[in-house]
Amino acid sequence: MDQNLVDLTEKLSLSSNKIVLTSSDGDSFEIHEAVARKSQTIAEMLDAGCTGTIPLHNVTGKILDRVIDYCITHVKEDGPFEEEEEAEEKEAKKKWDAEFVKVDLETIFELILAANYLNIKGLIGLTSQAVADHIKDKTPEDVREIFGIENDFTPEEEEAVRNEHAWAFEDSK
Amino acid sequence: MDFVKNLDADMSLAILSCLDDPSDLVRASAVSRSWRHFVIKYSLSKNLCLKLFHQLTSVDRIIEIINEAGGSSSSSLIMDDTTSTTTRLLLDREHRVYALLAKGCTSSPIKSCIADAITASTTDRLPEESIFNTLDARDRFGFTPSYWSSTGHHNTSVPETLLYKLKGDLCVINEVSIQPLQANFHPGAPIYSSRYVRFRFGHLVNNSREDTEDENKYVWTHTSQEFPMAQENRLQSFKLPEPVLCIGGYLLVEFLGRVQICDIDGLYYICVSHVKVMGRSLAKSFGVVDSDISGKFALKVLSYGDPQEVDEKEAELGIREIRLRILRQYVNFLHRYPPVEPL
Repeated sequence: MDQNLVDLTEKLSLSSNKIVLTSSDGDSFEIHEAVARKSQTIAEMLDAGCTGTIPLHNVTGKILDRVIDYCITHVKEDGPFEEEEEAEEKEAKKKWDAEFVKVDLETIFELILAANYLNIKGLIGLTSQAVADHIKDKTPEDVREIFGIENDFTPEEEEAVRNEHAWAFEDSK
Repeated sequence: MDFVKNLDADMSLAILSCLDDPSDLVRASAVSRSWRHFVIKYSLSKNLCLKLFHQLTSVDRIIEIINEAGGSSSSSLIMDDTTSTTTRLLLDREHRVYALLAKGCTSSPIKSCIADAITASTTDRLPEESIFNTLDARDRFGFTPSYWSSTGHHNTSVPETLLYKLKGDLCVINEVSIQPLQANFHPGAPIYSSRYVRFRFGHLVNNSREDTEDENKYVWTHTSQEFPMAQENRLQSFKLPEPVLCIGGYLLVEFLGRVQICDIDGLYYICVSHVKVMGRSLAKSFGVVDSDISGKFALKVLSYGDPQEVDEKEAELGIREIRLRILRQYVNFLHRYPPVEPL
């Protein structure tokens, strides 16, 4: 991966700047500027003149590590470094993404928050879909259990909701 | 984590907007009060419909007829935007209606959607070669070939059209299949296909009637790409790249470019033995009413029953249609071969 990044940055005659990101719990990560710019938030900071170390108070080291992995894997998409990809490469990325979100829900939510704060469009999409996959095809009871939600409907209210579109509840698993 | 309660609205929106099955959205609205409030407030059902079918941007209001069947009140209450007093009521109604619409558009059974043939741009010999023959899958009736024929032209670029009424005001169309005629009764058994076909979907302009001859009374809101047609005697399937929601219930099949000359008179013809349209009819659940604003419609809910269930009444109507067609064919047959007095 590293050689690709060097090639990329050389190609676009950007200085191969390294940016240091620090997490809320004190971890630091040195990454190429190209990778850092996957985050709109960081890109704006850099354009505004920030250099060197960028502190990210809202993101823990554990999550930042994962986010950076994502950015490195997807550095070739969208934005100034966009390149035509082979179908093989696209397939490989899809598999990588699928593995990436095979984590507990709590971690996914932390990733969503980080992706939102750092404004990384692809990651927001990927993590949102991962949460939605936990809702898809599930009954309301299942969803409440998975997300720890309290059912605050009265029995009459709940019945009215179910009757409004009875077809959605007939064959629920 | 109950993200609807704990995350910002835009993040919850990003998550719930990933649900593209209307049943999932409805079930989400049954999870808790705040989930239901969220689904309704952010018009998720409506957004799903618009995402699936951008043709729905021409719907500007909803009409529900609420019949309290079996309840103490036996009167009908017509609810539309003019009677709604709060935004919340409007959003509730939109959620109710668009969830049903999304369900109908994605899971009503796929069936033949032609209700009737209306008219052809030209017909060589009426009634033997009328457009009604294209409704029948068989390419002959007894020994008589069953097909529509255009009039002949020297100019191969003169197009032809066939106009059909679809089942109901709202149909989601997936594909149109056409079988050109191979005229075995002509020397060389020529196939009178066209070079391309194209499909237009639309509605009748306000207050027009089908039987008047005015050509400008139809508005075509969606036009497909041009599909190349093979000069082959088989039912050729033209699959639309995305299903099209036809608002108004009219389909115009356009035949562009003539390819086959008739050796007998030296003119180019287009002849078709069968036209089939496959899709989902929402006739059971929805009607469409012209709005006061030109180009806009009101969506009228006819029934909240499960769109996936087959209607017995529909099946009955289908049989009646087939009987009518067979009757028509008998009449045509008699036209061609009037009874002769025995010597």
